[in-house]
Amino acid sequence: MTAEPVLQVKNIHKAFGDRKILEGVSFDVYAGEMLGLIGPSGCGKSTLLKIICGLLEPDQGEVIRRSDDIGLVFQGSALLNSLNVRNNLALALDRRNLSKAEEDKIIREKLDLVELSDFMYASPTRLSGGQQKRTSFARAIVNDPKIILYDEPTTGLDPVMSTVIEDYMIVLSHQLSAASIVVTHQFSTWTRTTNRVVLMFEGKIVWQGTPEEGVKSDNPFMQQFASGSREGPMLAAKL
Amino acid sequence: MTASQTKEKRFVNPLQIAEDQMLIGLTLLGQVGYLMWRTFGYMLRLQIDWAESTRQGYMIGVKSLVVVGITALFTGLAMSLQISRELVTFGADTAIGGVVSLALVREIGPITAGVIVAGRVGSSIAAELTTMMITEQIDALKVMRVDPIKFLVVPRYTAALIVIPTLSTYAMFLGLLAGIFIAKTAANVPPEAFLDSVRQTILDRDFAVHYLKSIINATVIIFFSCAIGLNTRGGAEDVGIATTRAIVWTMISIFILNFVVTSLTYAPR
Repeated sequence: MTAEPVLQVKNIHKAFGDRKILEGVSFDVYAGEMLGLIGPSGCGKSTLLKIICGLLEPDQGEVIRRSDDIGLVFQGSALLNSLNVRNNLALALDRRNLSKAEEDKIIREKLDLVELSDFMYASPTRLSGGQQKRTSFARAIVNDPKIILYDEPTTGLDPVMSTVIEDYMIVLSHQLSAASIVVTHQFSTWTRTTNRVVLMFEGKIVWQGTPEEGVKSDNPFMQQFASGSREGPMLAAKL
Repeated sequence: MTASQTKEKRFVNPLQIAEDQMLIGLTLLGQVGYLMWRTFGYMLRLQIDWAESTRQGYMIGVKSLVVVGITALFTGLAMSLQISRELVTFGADTAIGGVVSLALVREIGPITAGVIVAGRVGSSIAAELTTMMITEQIDALKVMRVDPIKFLVVPRYTAALIVIPTLSTYAMFLGLLAGIFIAKTAANVPPEAFLDSVRQTILDRDFAVHYLKSIINATVIIFFSCAIGLNTRGGAEDVGIATTRAIVWTMISIFILNFVVTSLTYAPR
């Protein structure tokens, strides 16, 4: 881990109409680090991710990125159905003006990483959910980004495929030395893959630390989130 | 606007509804204007994906051939029958070709192709782009620094500019064939006499207006359906709402602009 953070999130505020989504969220992410952004549904995790990758503008605060190359793995894979797997990846390479041979070499290399090179010319609609997710991974890393964002990468997958995806995340993070943020509420995902977790609730950070500390924490929010209990401040606030 | 927002507004007073609808309409016109500005910018710099434009040309044009053909043929048959009946009554059966062709070139050709393509293609574009919005495919393009307007709108408009005027011409010719058939069978006018009447009546200006209307139709269909698709959020229900909005807006606009062009080019002086 270097001293200089690759990504700095500074005092982000965001509201949609009267509804406050984020209220003063700040954290740094370093090269090679995988930060887990966890919390119950509707706590502002995905909105924050969209602000970090530039899809949304914050009302207040700023995001400082040391690199413009960002890879985003979407919750629903977000592959373009009108293009085959190769062209989905090639789209991300478009701005580099590479020859077709150079494109093919990079694409095959990335598909090899996620064990999908046999599906290079397949339509995304013919792939299983897990294969689509892995294609989405390959697309996110095709430009060797220094920042990788994962939005609910294991949601909707069976436990075995979740483990496979988590393994890819760990391998890719090490290979690329990228600063990664994983938005999730899956216990196995944040405990297995992340170095540090930030727990959000109602647009604010209510706890942060390592996953090991999180599991043992006596913070009432973290305790309830880690145990999945009905008892605690999260459900009380919603009811 | 999402389905849930539409539901919430169901019990607001009529004035409020009118105000909201006007605001929605003006917002849509602004979105259409913005899309046109950006699309023309790319086209003037020739930044056009020709392979995708060809694919879109197939989707918009080739796949509309049968439905446009059937519609044009039966519209031509019905119209020719009406015109033949009236002109035969007045002893003007040799003018059947001229009157039928005038109606086909000036109005029926562009309108038939425009309305059919608006229903078939406009709705499909709005549904496809709305689905892409909902499934975050548009966000994926933005993250990859691919402009959705360049990637999605420019090829569709380029294709439409070529295939919709072609479909209008095709509709016009099928209508003429229907006219020749009816003139021969119902009014005993030989095809030579029919075509002679056509040649004496139709001017170059009529073809210019025909293509002007076709280009306007292509512009309306593509930009309204793309603007609606690219600005709809929500869920599955919103895909249906976006589709309906696209059809309603394109149909209304096609008929209004058709009248505007007709009044500017053929109004009595």
